[in-house]
Amino acid sequence: MNSVWDTEQMARRIARRNKAERRFRLLGLGAIVLSLSFLVLLLVIMLKNGLGGLDWEFLTGSDSTDASTAGIWGALKGSLLTMAVTLALSFPLGVLSAIYLEEFAPKNRWIDLVEVSINNLAAVPSIIFGLLGLAVFINTFGLPRSAPLVGGLTLALMTMPVIVISGRNAIKAVPPSIRDAALAVGASPVQTVFHHVLPLALPGILTGTIIGMARALGETAPLLMIGMRAFIATPPDGITDPASVLPMQIFLWSDEIDRAFVQNTSAAIIVLLVFLLAMNGLAIYLRNKFEVRW
Amino acid sequence: MTDTPKMSARNVDVYYGAKQAIDDVSIDIDTGHVTAFIGPSGCGKSTFLRSLNRMNDTIPIARVTGEIDLDGEDISRMDPVQLRARVGMVFQKPNPFPKSIYENVAYGPRIHGVAAGKAEMDEIVEKSLSRAGLWEEVRDRLSDAGTALSGGQQQRLCIARAIAVSPEVILMDEPCSALDPIATARIEELIDELKERYAIVIVTHSMQQAARVSQKTAFFHLGKMVEYGDTSDLFTNPQQERTKDYITGRYG
Repeated sequence: MNSVWDTEQMARRIARRNKAERRFRLLGLGAIVLSLSFLVLLLVIMLKNGLGGLDWEFLTGSDSTDASTAGIWGALKGSLLTMAVTLALSFPLGVLSAIYLEEFAPKNRWIDLVEVSINNLAAVPSIIFGLLGLAVFINTFGLPRSAPLVGGLTLALMTMPVIVISGRNAIKAVPPSIRDAALAVGASPVQTVFHHVLPLALPGILTGTIIGMARALGETAPLLMIGMRAFIATPPDGITDPASVLPMQIFLWSDEIDRAFVQNTSAAIIVLLVFLLAMNGLAIYLRNKFEVRW
Repeated sequence: MTDTPKMSARNVDVYYGAKQAIDDVSIDIDTGHVTAFIGPSGCGKSTFLRSLNRMNDTIPIARVTGEIDLDGEDISRMDPVQLRARVGMVFQKPNPFPKSIYENVAYGPRIHGVAAGKAEMDEIVEKSLSRAGLWEEVRDRLSDAGTALSGGQQQRLCIARAIAVSPEVILMDEPCSALDPIATARIEELIDELKERYAIVIVTHSMQQAARVSQKTAFFHLGKMVEYGDTSDLFTNPQQERTKDYITGRYG
């Protein structure tokens, strides 16, 4: 009975298969180590160059022609104001679109077209959004140049599709049986969505939103087009004041001829990375804390 | 029993797109007894059940023609929200909300605004859970998650949830198919108690279950209702050849 399994040939086959398993694991591990090591290298260089410049003065100052007095606060405040505009606009628009498309939209060719458009919108290069912002918000609507309002509007256009896509996936993941249950006790479709589907989808929606916002926070190209690259020596007071943003500040400083700005550049990168890591951390926390398991 | 039946269907057809799932079904359903729909998988018995409280509205390609009346009123002209409060439903797989036991039962009464104040709501919750035979087991842990209960308890919670909005008819779509025999027996006892108050329609793939719990049985095959009559007659003396073949296990 065991004759087939006892042969020399079979033993060789199994040995070969085990070897292939080990080889694959090593390959996968190697891929991770390779990519992570570059990230670690970047972090080490940035920390080495920038940590010395990270003092209170740097965190509270604004841009200056003198590297020793130049600080990050102006750009940071610009980023925060821009993000506030982006979030205020893209979150409700994105969530409402996702709910409509997933729960209410009729299934026809027009809706298919809308879906394809939204998916494509998420893949449009960001510089194009910058041009759009310039043409529509500044040249047509006459909104102020270099302002967080326009920056936020432009980035909201970019972030909205990301929120729609992640929102739809989160809504789709809510089991249909919950909708049936709510409808069967006489809940209206809107009640079903807001009482049952949305609360269950919210962790996923928030995760997608935060990731979209993190992407917007790091965006530079579209803001170039709407003039957020000016030299701003005073922090903006509101969303219509001229402002810069963190990645733009990094770009401007890295362009300076004065060697003293190298430290500023690295310090600003550290600040930006801390923000991005914090946002991603929040996304992971929300996902783990509020996810309902079935 | 009154002259107008609780629910009556006349010449009902259901289509999924171009495919006809139900072909010319007419049936009367009354309070005071249990009506069972039996038949092989895919015969349309669940589809027909879902037409009775317009749950098929949620499927975009589904289309129902013919007339279904509740107390003589055409349900296609009724507000689906009100209809579904009057015609409750229990599903194949227990589907409690991922909320507390209390909230599961209180949700229906709350959205319909039938309870004035907390005390009245507490009363509705207790009464519904008692009628569903679950009160004694959960009275000390009403704030626990409904999803943490056992499968049979979850299904009884779903029955309590349906009862809480004071329906007149309760539709049950294979309510025991995900349960073990002991939990099934409890649900069957419960159905027997509930039939005094509500018109109950149960879809089941188990002929034994239909024979145990129902007084009337309708046999469906390929979208048609082949035979409808008293359960005892249908199982002992089927009029149609196809019914006889099915209940004797020739197919299905």
